[in-house]
Amino acid sequence: MKGNSSSAKQLTDQDHYEAPSEPSIKKVPPKRKKRRKSQAFQEALTGYFFLAPALILLGVFLLYPMGAAFYYSFTDFYILKPDDISFIGFENFSYIWQDAQFRQAFWNTVYFSVIVVPVQLAVALGLALLINKKLKFRVFFRTAFFSPVVMSLVVVSILWTFMYNPNEGLINQLLGVIGISPQPFLTSPDQAMNSIIVMSVWQGAGFQMMIFLAGLQNIPNHLYEAADIDGATSWQKFLHVTLPGLKNIALFIFITISIAAFKLLVQPMIMTQGGPLGSTKSLVYHIYETGFNYRDVGYASAMAVVFTMIVLTITIIQRVLIREERG
Amino acid sequence: MKKLLYLLAGVLLVLMMAACSSDSSTNSEGSSSSSGENATSDTVETGSVDTSVEATGDEDVMLDFWIHQTGEDETNAYIELIDAFNKEHDDIHVNAEVIIDDGASAYSDSINAALVAGNLPDVMAVDGPYVSSFAEAGVIQPIDNYIDEETKSQYVDSIIQQGTYNDQLYSLGAMEASVMLYYNKDLLEEAGIEPANSLEEAWTWDELMKNSKKLTTEDRYGLNLFMNYGVGEWLTFMGAPLAWSNGGALISEDGTKVDGYLNSPETIEALNYVKDLFAEGVVTDSPGEMQFEEGNAALALGGPWIAVSAEDAGLNWGMMPYPYKDEKVSPSGSMAYAVTNNTEDPEAAVELMKWMTNEEATIKISKATGMPPAQKSAFETMEKFNELPWSIMKEQVIQTAHARPATPAYPVLTDAFAQSFHAAALGEDVESVVEQQVQRVERELKRFEE
Repeated sequence: MKGNSSSAKQLTDQDHYEAPSEPSIKKVPPKRKKRRKSQAFQEALTGYFFLAPALILLGVFLLYPMGAAFYYSFTDFYILKPDDISFIGFENFSYIWQDAQFRQAFWNTVYFSVIVVPVQLAVALGLALLINKKLKFRVFFRTAFFSPVVMSLVVVSILWTFMYNPNEGLINQLLGVIGISPQPFLTSPDQAMNSIIVMSVWQGAGFQMMIFLAGLQNIPNHLYEAADIDGATSWQKFLHVTLPGLKNIALFIFITISIAAFKLLVQPMIMTQGGPLGSTKSLVYHIYETGFNYRDVGYASAMAVVFTMIVLTITIIQRVLIREERG
Repeated sequence: MKKLLYLLAGVLLVLMMAACSSDSSTNSEGSSSSSGENATSDTVETGSVDTSVEATGDEDVMLDFWIHQTGEDETNAYIELIDAFNKEHDDIHVNAEVIIDDGASAYSDSINAALVAGNLPDVMAVDGPYVSSFAEAGVIQPIDNYIDEETKSQYVDSIIQQGTYNDQLYSLGAMEASVMLYYNKDLLEEAGIEPANSLEEAWTWDELMKNSKKLTTEDRYGLNLFMNYGVGEWLTFMGAPLAWSNGGALISEDGTKVDGYLNSPETIEALNYVKDLFAEGVVTDSPGEMQFEEGNAALALGGPWIAVSAEDAGLNWGMMPYPYKDEKVSPSGSMAYAVTNNTEDPEAAVELMKWMTNEEATIKISKATGMPPAQKSAFETMEKFNELPWSIMKEQVIQTAHARPATPAYPVLTDAFAQSFHAAALGEDVESVVEQQVQRVERELKRFEE
């Protein structure tokens, strides 16, 4: 009843209003559309305005240099002669395959990455598991494991250089106590890269440990309780509850460590200057030296382009594999 | 218990080193930035001149001047010299900019950046052996037209040699440098070894080898070559005279060819001598920072700064000339000044260079840095160079100093030699390493073929 009467009333109201305002009604919709358009435009403008600082910085410090490097990779740009740049086609790229130093740097970098990525992943997970237990002094351990991450990599590298010193370094003094003769950690071509790997894992693992820790605390407790009821051992619980629960986080960490490992630069630069006999020279360090010390920006750019391709390929492969696993 | 103490001492040592190194680095950063500010404010002080100049239309020359900073005392000495120059010259005004030189690439990075951007100063400090590459690229200009023979002859020969490329003079320096064979007097006396007290008595390679072996014991090395400085300019600076002394070379006289020079039998023999020193165990490839000062090495082939640190450490030390094979030669070269092609008034720029390197300036800088002066007369004025042991450094700088090669490919050449030297120290096959490096330098040299 009520509904009927009200709708009737509305009808009459409409009738009442329609007649006199017919011309104005036609005018109203276009006005509204215009307002909407300009509003949308303004909103977009505001959006771009807020984006601008990020976009400008990205453009000036990332996209432009990338484009410039691509362009210079086809030239003979020598830093002392910036006004005398000529186009030399693929000459720089073809020299890469003859450059023994590039080859050595490439395999050094691959070796570093192949060892560091799984080791650092495992160490980070191990530390996270330890800290997740309700131990005494838990906060102390957490801080201790995380503190190397807060320190500058340059400072850490200098400290470890002292610790690795064969004659006066801490590590060799300790080895001396248990009767092992001093090791040439950074001065032997066979040991230098491994020494840098140990130091890098120590420095970097704390950060991934914190991410793993967050992941561990996100695994719902009822899963463990259910496993307990089923009579699972703690190893079985780790294998079938903890690991699957951490899968996504582990993949994220895997990708970030891989990319970071490929960009190895600071440690060899500070600790060994790429030596002994080039055994710790990384790709990025070789590019840096070529461009800045030997002033051969053209060739350095070509190597940078190739380096980008390599990292891009690795990242794409990892992404594809991850998608498959998710599916 | 003893072992535990040992361990604790080790931990303490590392902590102390950490504290020291971080302290010193923050200190130097702090002081450098503050002195940098001082530098600019010092020169801006006389800025009132600018306005009056524009008003009168009188054309004053403004010179931008880059100086490098490695130590505070040194920089202060430069600033005082520049202030004095500004007071003395009414028509020239110098704006100095202090740029950090960390011994690695910080200073050359600044030059590279300014070069590409096209805003190099009028006058800048450049490292001696890099003069040729700047000259070849036309970054700096010859100054022969603005300097007379008499002024030129006042400098020690090696400074002129270092500043000359293609028979034209490009740079003048206030400092020389050298490498001396330092020795621990007590240890030599103990072993009954007679040191060389003049250039005539300089040790030969054989004597150095024999005596180093004699001085090497269970807990001490006979010789220190400061391999802890890393594989860089030091190895070329300190090591190249071994090749020259043996009649070898790093590159052809005209600086265009390394094949047949860097891999000549004489150079290879010199590197093999280095290899033998290491193989005999008289020298280590990783000495501690203060190995010589702490008495853990009896001899040391080090720069003038070792005299300062040995004195500070209270060591009973002396110096001998650089050891030789056939010809007596010794390391040379240091920072110098050059006029860039950016300048509008090269004459005023050279005036500034002469001022910064005249006798008074070179004595002032020598006192601040401990480096030998670059003017012959300064050696007479400074009394310390007329008595032992400094008289030996004077003889060496004036008589046997040999500049590093003048070639535009120097940055690659010096790395090639340093890598070869280091490979020899590690006991690698010298010939094959040198051969690889020769190919590298030859490729770089092609860039400069015309």
